[in-house]
Amino acid sequence: MAGNTAERNYIISKKIDQFFIELASVFRFMKRFFVEVWFPPYEFREVLRQCYEIGVKSLPLISLTGFIVGIVFTNQSRPSLTEFGATSWLPALISIAIVRAMGPLVTALIAAGKVGSSIGAEIASMKVTEQIDAMEVSATNPFKYLVVTRVLASTFMIPLLVMYVDFVALMGAFINVHQNELTSLTTFFVEVFEALTFLDIFSSLIKSTVFGFTIGIVGCYKGYTSSKGTEGVGKAANAAVVMAMFLIFIEELLALQIVNFFRFN
Amino acid sequence: MKSENKKSVIVGIFTLIGIVILVAGIMTLGGQQKKFVKSFRAKAVFDDVAGLQVGNNVWFSGVKIGTVRKINFYGDSQVEIEMNIEEKTRDFIRKDSKATISSDGLIGNKIIVIYGGTTQAPPIENDDRLVSVMPLDTDKMMETLQENNRNLVSITNDLKNLTGKISEGEGIIGAVLTDSLLADNFRNMLSNLENTTINSNKITSDLSSFASKMNQEGTLLDNLVKDTTVFKSLQATAKSLESTTKEASAAATNFNLASEKIKETDNALGMLLNDEQFAQYLKGTLENLESGTDRLDENLEALQHSWLLRRYFRRQAREQAAQEEN
Repeated sequence: MAGNTAERNYIISKKIDQFFIELASVFRFMKRFFVEVWFPPYEFREVLRQCYEIGVKSLPLISLTGFIVGIVFTNQSRPSLTEFGATSWLPALISIAIVRAMGPLVTALIAAGKVGSSIGAEIASMKVTEQIDAMEVSATNPFKYLVVTRVLASTFMIPLLVMYVDFVALMGAFINVHQNELTSLTTFFVEVFEALTFLDIFSSLIKSTVFGFTIGIVGCYKGYTSSKGTEGVGKAANAAVVMAMFLIFIEELLALQIVNFFRFN
Repeated sequence: MKSENKKSVIVGIFTLIGIVILVAGIMTLGGQQKKFVKSFRAKAVFDDVAGLQVGNNVWFSGVKIGTVRKINFYGDSQVEIEMNIEEKTRDFIRKDSKATISSDGLIGNKIIVIYGGTTQAPPIENDDRLVSVMPLDTDKMMETLQENNRNLVSITNDLKNLTGKISEGEGIIGAVLTDSLLADNFRNMLSNLENTTINSNKITSDLSSFASKMNQEGTLLDNLVKDTTVFKSLQATAKSLESTTKEASAAATNFNLASEKIKETDNALGMLLNDEQFAQYLKGTLENLESGTDRLDENLEALQHSWLLRRYFRRQAREQAAQEEN
């Protein structure tokens, strides 16, 4: 009888119900962000500090990754194009691949690993050590100071990082193409931009903004809602990375459909 | 506090560089796609655009001058292409220029190619419609290629038969290749041909030397060509010949008149030739004259033997004999 009463507390199953409850919680968290972001006090200094932490400190790692991606992708694509004598299409192929997909995706995934986990762990540890409660007691809005600043910083910094990664990856590709095909820098970039459209650049920019927001909001949510205890910090960091990466792939898929709708209509 | 400021500056520089990369990318892309240049519109209508898309390039004399702006259906099943073309190329594209669909490589993107146009036609204006030329249809090309293949098969079959017959010694060529006698004849023919060629060369050489001699000073042809006095002399001769010809013509006319007169009987000669009665009369007169002459001969003979003149005739005979002896 007690078991039947317990079963009646869930609509579908415990796990599925839990998923939707968490989803609703995420949306409430996002709603709070969009409300808080418009009202003062605006923590500009903290936003700048977070921009430095998220953007500038991630730059070396992300640039190196982008450079390697450019070289590797060029090298891996060459044999396929060589088979039908179209190596001159390498710059066009690389530019489309990097600007449309790989630049934003690689940047977002690296940032999700580095930034998402650090945000999740940082906020979770503050939660565990009751610093957030202390802030509330001292009349400081912890959501505004911790969440809004980090989400804004990641939303602004990821598109900028994507610009850097695109540039660095294309330079890596150029070095490889120049070594093998002796293509000049001018010819390479003329062919790169020949294959691109404004839609590619703006869709990449919008997509990376969404990725940045996702990384920030997921990291903050997982940290802000972590269970108490040191174990919760690790779980929050891990969950932030996993959830952010999963959502990034889902968003990439949706973005592709939307962009293709505009591209072919 | 100093550290915070340093971070702010670094974030500012970081943001600035990111924005510069973005703006540079947009400007380069816009420049390549002629988005920021002043342009005008032109149109062309095709039956089939073969996969042409909005944004594809427009070429003129191998130079990219614009992009495809819009593709609309037109009429029953035709397609109207609207193009943005750089303003600075307007003077080079004439109203009678043509537009066709091509490809920027063997497997490249489709492009619109504008070509032709004469300087007599005025430059193109906004929203003008260019004459469209349908591109080569690959299906039709393949059909033609298939036809060519069939012809090639037929030709190679014929060639096979021909070479088979030649190798078996059939026909003239076969006989030439296999019959030694014919081969010798052919060789002789070639030898004769060679001799003929040598002779021809010699003749040509002679003609050349003859021509050079003719060009030497003092020769007839040289004088004819160069000497003005000879030419004047010839001119005078020609004039003289012309007057002689005129006189001969007049004489011939007179002769014709005389001949006409002779045919008539109102003059002595005409009567002599044409009047039969007069002819009979003249004939009778002549007969009488002949008989009269015979009688006169008899009379003179008789006179020689008369004693009055006999002495004179004897002396004359002696003088004649003496002259013959001397």
